[in-house]
Amino acid sequence: MTKEAVSIRDLNYSYPDGTVALEDINITIEEGERIAIIGQNGAGKTTLFLHLNGTIKSCDNNVVIFGKDIGQMKSKERIEKVGVVFQDPDDQLFMPTIFDDVAFGPINMGLDEDEVERRVRSALATVGLTGFEDRVPHHLSYGQKKRAALAAVLSMEPRILVLDEPTANLDPMNRASLIELINDLNRDKGITTIVAMHDVNAVSQLADRIYVLNKRMVAEGPPTEIFMDFDLLRENNLDAPDVFKLFSVLSCFGFNCESLPLSINEAVEVLTKTIEGDEKHVHLHIHEHTHEDLEVLMHRYDHHHG
Amino acid sequence: MDYPEIDRYASLDSPIHRFDPRAKIITFVLLLISFVFVQKISVAFLALLFSLLLLLVSKLPIRFILKRVQIVLIFVLPLLIIMPLTVKGTELFSVFGISATREGLWYASLIVIRSMAAVILILTMLGSMRFDTTIKALYTLKAPKTLVQMLMFTYRYIFVIIDEFLSMWRAMSAKGFNPRTNMYGLSVMGNMVGMLIVKSYERGERVYQAMISRGYTGNPKTRTAFAMRRTDYVLSAIFVGIAILVHINTVMM
Ligand SMILES: Nc1ncnc2c1ncn2[C@@H]1O[C@H](COP(=O)(O)OP(=O)(O)OP(=O)(O)O)[C@@H](O)[C@H]1O
Ligand SMILES: [Mg+2]
Repeated sequence: MTKEAVSIRDLNYSYPDGTVALEDINITIEEGERIAIIGQNGAGKTTLFLHLNGTIKSCDNNVVIFGKDIGQMKSKERIEKVGVVFQDPDDQLFMPTIFDDVAFGPINMGLDEDEVERRVRSALATVGLTGFEDRVPHHLSYGQKKRAALAAVLSMEPRILVLDEPTANLDPMNRASLIELINDLNRDKGITTIVAMHDVNAVSQLADRIYVLNKRMVAEGPPTEIFMDFDLLRENNLDAPDVFKLFSVLSCFGFNCESLPLSINEAVEVLTKTIEGDEKHVHLHIHEHTHEDLEVLMHRYDHHHG
Repeated sequence: MDYPEIDRYASLDSPIHRFDPRAKIITFVLLLISFVFVQKISVAFLALLFSLLLLLVSKLPIRFILKRVQIVLIFVLPLLIIMPLTVKGTELFSVFGISATREGLWYASLIVIRSMAAVILILTMLGSMRFDTTIKALYTLKAPKTLVQMLMFTYRYIFVIIDEFLSMWRAMSAKGFNPRTNMYGLSVMGNMVGMLIVKSYERGERVYQAMISRGYTGNPKTRTAFAMRRTDYVLSAIFVGIAILVHINTVMM
């Protein structure tokens, strides 16, 4: 039986200057789920994450982690449950050296020296930064800083891992390895992962379920369902993955498949299945509605003339 | 990116580099205190020689240190002109009815030599260990919490702020701005400094959130592994001895 990892009920939040950031947020996340939260700039993703580990305290006790109100937790318990990796690694790496930074959480948890040491080594090994212990953050590349920031959270061995824009500004290799790393943590250690991202092409690789945020939670569901909903996407300034769009175009040319693929990997699967199946090949043609369908489709994806 | 790093040569190997950071800070500060109170030019001169000797032993590139000493000299050298003209005493010579005094010149030379000795000493200390080691040593020496944290964050974020400043600067020059000291130029520069302050403030807020997220409760805690060896004790004894001698000499005058 799965446990509820995160439960948020009727959360509202405005910044002190009056900016309304979150309205009536309700979410429930089971342990071990892979969740993505998508939404345009300023949608409130970062603000929501600050609530998840109690950095911003809500007065109404409506953020519950593993059955316990986050506001009631001691600092140690709080950071053991939820680890947040922030958007800008320069904000997250505040200690003079990488070792100090990755050790910061464990030391605050009151662990003994050997355990701190062990956790730092293992966290750095996990993100592939072994040997970087004595380096100073300003001598690292952006990708390395990003990984160091992740290690600094992994060393607390949290049950829920929250990542704000984990793939932004990374080169393709680093992006792929980070995605793999997050998925490994989810699969091997059963860590619940929650990511915020703009990169819709990568969303389906990191999430089984998506929440669409725009101050309010405007939608929730599996990736395919969310990306099928053109109006939802347009109203919230979001985009569909390129592969998904391409296959939408193909379907105007008569290509048939059960569910449109969201990533290259899924596309390979779909194509293989189709070609191995009854039809033996992919048949594309122009039928009477093709031009009409294409026009409608292209119009739906056009953000400038909504 | 060429940062103005004081600890660029911290990885060299010399007796000064190997000296235990805590003992180094304590003894160098004692030496510093004894140097700045020296009242005799001859002793001040010896102090300067001693500082130079330590600098040589430390193998730090002399030019690297002298470039930083220059900055201090810009502030103290004018004393060589001002003080002879303002301090009262026996006249050396006079220009346009203003007389320069022997005492004034003497005081000014004393101040210049003393400050050179002190600055070279401190730069040798800071230059011969990584700055994060210096901070950690201060932390283990139970220096005030606030001071330690301030140094820590200054060290960590000065580079980030320099980067931010440079990228703003580049953006401005890309738009054709070249700095002039007219009203317009100054107001643009003023804006830039303002932006930098706002950015730093906002970053401060985000960094604080990141710290809370990792269990920060107001006490900086960090792990240190310093160990005093025999040579550290010997070196400490020598330095403390010299500091005391200089001090006795000063008091006995
Ligand atoms: N410290 C603050 N004070 C006042 N308003 C803020 C503050 N931080 C964020 N906001 C506002 O709150 C809203 C939500 O911001 P938030 O940073 O949570 O968005 P986001 O979804 O993370 O955006 P992005 O994708 O750009 O990171 C925005 O309108 C923003 O301007
Ligand atoms: Mg954000």
